[in-house]
Amino acid sequence: MKNKIEFLIGDKKFSSKALEPFDDGVIKFLDELSVFLAASKESLEYTDIRTFAFMCRKKNLEFLKKKFSTSMYRVGVGLLFHITPSNIPTSFAYSMLFGILSGNTNLIKIPSKKFPQIEILCKAIKIKIKKYKKIEKFITIVRYSDNDEFTREASLKCDGRLIWGGNSSINNIRKFPMKEISRDIAFADRNSLCVINSSKIMSLTAKELKFLAVRFYNDTFLVDQNACSSPHIIFWEGNKKEEAKEKFWAELFNIVKSKYDLQYTGIFYKYNRLISDNLGLKNFRSYKKYGQYIHCVQLKNNMKLKIENLTAKWGYFYQMDLENISKIFNHTNANTQTLSYYGYTKDIFLKIIKQKNFRGVDRIVPIGQALDIGLYWDGYDIIPSLTKTIEIK
Amino acid sequence: MEKFKKSIKIFNYSKKEKISFFDGKMINLVKSHYNLCKPYKNMLKLFNYNLDNKNIKKIPPLPVSLFKNIDLLSVKKNKIIKTLLSSGTSGIVPSKIYLDGENSKNLTWVLTKIVESILGKKRIPMLIVDQNPRHSNRYNFNARIAAINGFSIFGKNITYLIDNNNKFKINELNKFLSIYGNDNFLIFGFTSIVYQHLLKNDISRKLKYNLKKGILIHGGGWKKLTDISITNKMFKDSFRKKYSLNKIHNYYGLVEQTGSIFIECEKCSLFKCSIYSDIFIRDKHLNIIEEKGKKGFLQVMSLIPSSYPGNNLLTEDIAEIVDSKKCKSCTHNYYGKLFKVYGRANNSEIRGCSNI
Repeated sequence: MKNKIEFLIGDKKFSSKALEPFDDGVIKFLDELSVFLAASKESLEYTDIRTFAFMCRKKNLEFLKKKFSTSMYRVGVGLLFHITPSNIPTSFAYSMLFGILSGNTNLIKIPSKKFPQIEILCKAIKIKIKKYKKIEKFITIVRYSDNDEFTREASLKCDGRLIWGGNSSINNIRKFPMKEISRDIAFADRNSLCVINSSKIMSLTAKELKFLAVRFYNDTFLVDQNACSSPHIIFWEGNKKEEAKEKFWAELFNIVKSKYDLQYTGIFYKYNRLISDNLGLKNFRSYKKYGQYIHCVQLKNNMKLKIENLTAKWGYFYQMDLENISKIFNHTNANTQTLSYYGYTKDIFLKIIKQKNFRGVDRIVPIGQALDIGLYWDGYDIIPSLTKTIEIK
Repeated sequence: MEKFKKSIKIFNYSKKEKISFFDGKMINLVKSHYNLCKPYKNMLKLFNYNLDNKNIKKIPPLPVSLFKNIDLLSVKKNKIIKTLLSSGTSGIVPSKIYLDGENSKNLTWVLTKIVESILGKKRIPMLIVDQNPRHSNRYNFNARIAAINGFSIFGKNITYLIDNNNKFKINELNKFLSIYGNDNFLIFGFTSIVYQHLLKNDISRKLKYNLKKGILIHGGGWKKLTDISITNKMFKDSFRKKYSLNKIHNYYGLVEQTGSIFIECEKCSLFKCSIYSDIFIRDKHLNIIEEKGKKGFLQVMSLIPSSYPGNNLLTEDIAEIVDSKKCKSCTHNYYGKLFKVYGRANNSEIRGCSNI
């Protein structure tokens, strides 16, 4: 198969060059990009663009640079071929940020769907990068579909690949060989959990509860619960679990009703999933619906969970009671990405993990930060993963 | 199980006749599947369905995609003579529909009555815009083969227009037209295949005769054509222009309710319900919309499914019931619901991604 390739930035003469991570020119470019995006009228209505712009501020990048400090000499691996997810408009920009910040040249394949955010971001990158002759050729952005020949050529040429996406697209890309020395970093399908301290919910004021529900909304409904880091199973621990559930979901229902636009696809999905679960899921105990907005399936306690089968979307949650917070990691596995929590201090998680040598989770964050993206992702420390060390003795 | 009742008033029923023929039978069919199919029973119980209910609007519909996940049967497996598979794209799990002898017989009977309303009782020469499915596995029919087989009983002197290499057999078509082209003949095919071989590839110059006497019946969905912005009207106009073919009937049907298809009115292109089927439109809260002209999920009912619980299904298609007073052609002797289908609920709105 061979289809047309559209170069949004750069051309087919992309090559492999490398810099040290956190290069001054790169930081300057990203900061200018950030200022430009924050001021642009076009990006005003896109919170995802503004979030990206916020991350690219000089202050933030300098902070990350300081945090990274290493005694070793590091340099980018060279040309990175990014295969970014087809259904989220801004993730290519984060992938680019990972790549260029770690000192690499980047060939970025973006979604074929023409999101307005992509056009705005590419336009801004194009304008700003011209000023930086040293790194001008460091960003090439392409759009194509069904062109195995190009994927093959890029895979052979690159020094590393960043593959985002579902397991099937990862496996598909991996069919194309790379140079022996090149490296693959794949962000696979993952699942995420949430644990809530019910005793703490019961003592919340109306205002605090609303604040929590909004943060939970941002972790879930904002992306149709379709992000890997959106929680799929909610664990309840503490006293008065039933009352706490009712209090929490009812408040969330208020938020969702006022903010969320119901989609036919999601309504059908939940209707079908509820019936399928009722017929086929052994752990099914009961369910509760909040309009067509929120579906909660209560799972039986003390039954082994197959968490990879319990990843629903569109506002469909599984929930389970937990007798003790220390049991939470009994339910995680290698596929667990994010554990978001409410009503605990972070020390408790570190203590449990250390005690039992658990490793089945990548991130543990308060509710409201599940979707935040930093320089650690899916268990990777991004900068070291995309650079090489040169040992000099 | 209640005996399948035959009605001769397939479309020209009055509202009263429809209710007295349809509603009670649907209620009994629900009871029958409740007793014979455990998953169906559990589904009704999940929604606290009252078996004494007499109102068909209160029966919770089964989501049509459930046939992909679960084997649903209301007879013993050894009674099954045919399994229909939906013609999904590769990689997608197909629906499995289990038919016993009685169910097969009834669906053929109903389909015959519906098609006779267009063609009359006499069999006429027939063109099929597809490959000959003769070599396929008899017990595993996909929807396309099932439809071809189902419709081929209405024709004689059948000519298949596509060869095994997916090439259009223009010489065969000319030969057919030279013999039968002066009298009524039937053309049957899947919408997207008919489009590809007769409209996208313009064969009118290679054609020695026109298709003036042809009656085209096609179905199978518009998804592929909507993607390239081809509407039903454009489809019809092109046939008129290129081939002088005027009689064109699109139909809407699900493999999960094979037999009770909805065929469109020749003039206004709205779908009609036979006395064996009924439809409802449900809004985003899954409540039935009573007013006409409002879009929502299409729910389809059929009296045919007896060996599997396909009698009352919620589809993923968006449709609306249209006021019937506007078209004189279809309201002549037809008092049932008229509806328009907009296709699959749009999935493109999905946010989020596979990793972040």
